[in-house]
Amino acid sequence: MTGPGSEPPLIGLLRSASGRFALLFTALFAAAATAAAVVLWWNTAGTLDRQVDAAIRADGVALMERQRNAGTPAVITAIEDRLALDVQNESLYLLIDAQRRILAGNLESWPAEANADLPWIRMPLLRDGMMSEARLLRIDLPGNARLLVGRDVAEKLRLRALLSEGIAWAASSSAAIALLGAWMLRRALEHRLRPVYGTAEAISAGDLTRRVPLSDRKDEFDRLGLTMNAMLDRIAQLMEGVRGVSDAIAHDLRTPIARARAKLEEALDSAQDEESLRAAVEQGIADLDNIARIFQAVLRIAEVEAGSRRAAFAPLDLAPALRDAAELYEASAEVAGQALLTEVPENLAMVGDRDLLLQAVANLLDNALKFTPAGGCVRLSAAAGGGFITITVADDGPGLAPADRERVGERFFRADAARSTPGSGLGLSLVRAVAVLHGGEASIGDAQPGREPPGLAVTLRLPAV
Amino acid sequence: MRPARLLPATLLIVPLLATPLLAEATLADSPARVTTDTAQYCDHLAARLSSQPAAARASVQSLAAEGIRLCDTGHTRTGIAKLRRALRTVQGPGEPTAP
Repeated sequence: MTGPGSEPPLIGLLRSASGRFALLFTALFAAAATAAAVVLWWNTAGTLDRQVDAAIRADGVALMERQRNAGTPAVITAIEDRLALDVQNESLYLLIDAQRRILAGNLESWPAEANADLPWIRMPLLRDGMMSEARLLRIDLPGNARLLVGRDVAEKLRLRALLSEGIAWAASSSAAIALLGAWMLRRALEHRLRPVYGTAEAISAGDLTRRVPLSDRKDEFDRLGLTMNAMLDRIAQLMEGVRGVSDAIAHDLRTPIARARAKLEEALDSAQDEESLRAAVEQGIADLDNIARIFQAVLRIAEVEAGSRRAAFAPLDLAPALRDAAELYEASAEVAGQALLTEVPENLAMVGDRDLLLQAVANLLDNALKFTPAGGCVRLSAAAGGGFITITVADDGPGLAPADRERVGERFFRADAARSTPGSGLGLSLVRAVAVLHGGEASIGDAQPGREPPGLAVTLRLPAV
Repeated sequence: MRPARLLPATLLIVPLLATPLLAEATLADSPARVTTDTAQYCDHLAARLSSQPAAARASVQSLAAEGIRLCDTGHTRTGIAKLRRALRTVQGPGEPTAP
């Protein structure tokens, strides 16, 4: 297998994105230089050619007019006069009659090429032992006479050769400059991308603290670095969260598991009869069920936070769901001597996951009833307005210290005052995750500010339809 | 010009105006030879000059003599150029000239 280091330079250049950018730059530069050369050629060599053709055409038309007005002898005289006065020694003429006899001109014989269908001819010319080139126009005259009018274009060819040489030199210089520019461009790109490569390599080697160094230029590469750094921060935050959950599971589940184990062990050692052994086993099963529920809650929160439940979103009316939840908890509130008051409008239309929303409200009600003393009151209220649905569950419990409110969304967090109350510390985590999944938020405040105890009010703010 | 004479003229001129690049025969292999670079043409020009009434002018005579001398010493093309210049001087502006 051939490694990247042993590839031919051109293959390596084509594999590299910066190399391809550089080659594209070279191609564009070459295209621009070619366009400039074409324009230059058209305006110089092309103009010379067009001038020669125009002069030949005008000369031919003048001789035709003379032939028509004064006959062939006048044309012969005109040709001789023109040749006698041709100081530049460029003019070429040949006039023959119907019998192909030469009547006038300075060409030795009628060239075979002049018999072709096309009137314009370009052919080699031999004058005074030196090769040159002739540009000729054939004109068929009345009476089957034929006339060739032309110019020796040797001077034009020399000029054209000089121009070609100049363009060739310019093209070579342009190509060299383009290649140099491409090489510099590639180097510059590699130089700017090297910190990104370095950071990515360090991260893949396990150093998650590395970040892309940024320059003061605030260009595309800095934006790339910023985005990468934000991504790495987010990954680190998520990993920290995962680690926190793992630690919390290890810490919070160790106690119930140990307790269940101790109870079973004690029952095994000290059970006097089958009845007490059965009771101990049933208690162990209940403890294990509780642990399973905690696991299920953790998994559900993870599922909600991953956003995979969003596919199950559908239009729904939240009002009946809230009334169902209240009805479910009314019986247990009554048994505990608490009052559950409900204030829900007729309709609360929104788009979301009904089961998750019901679970979130149930968690809030369960929480509120758990912390409300006998004789206290829990209020479930909802309202729609301003494009949002607001659901509030308020209780007469001890409330939460402001410092603890920030941490309520964390998994397994339990305030000191709640340690003696049954619970896993996952209920409000799920509530917050469900609110975020629906594009809303969950906030915590005092139910009755200024009163002691102030009670707790948890408010869900969700987008309405 | 009468229409009857205008039509043939138009038919003759139109092909001349055709784009040369689109109507050009290929470059031939055998070259065309020019007959006005010879000593005979030198003599022809000298004879033509001497028949001109204004040829006696000193400047013209000087050019003509130089042209003939160059032709005699083998510098035919240069000599012919001198004689043509002398002829142009004699005939002056307004006479037929090659474009």
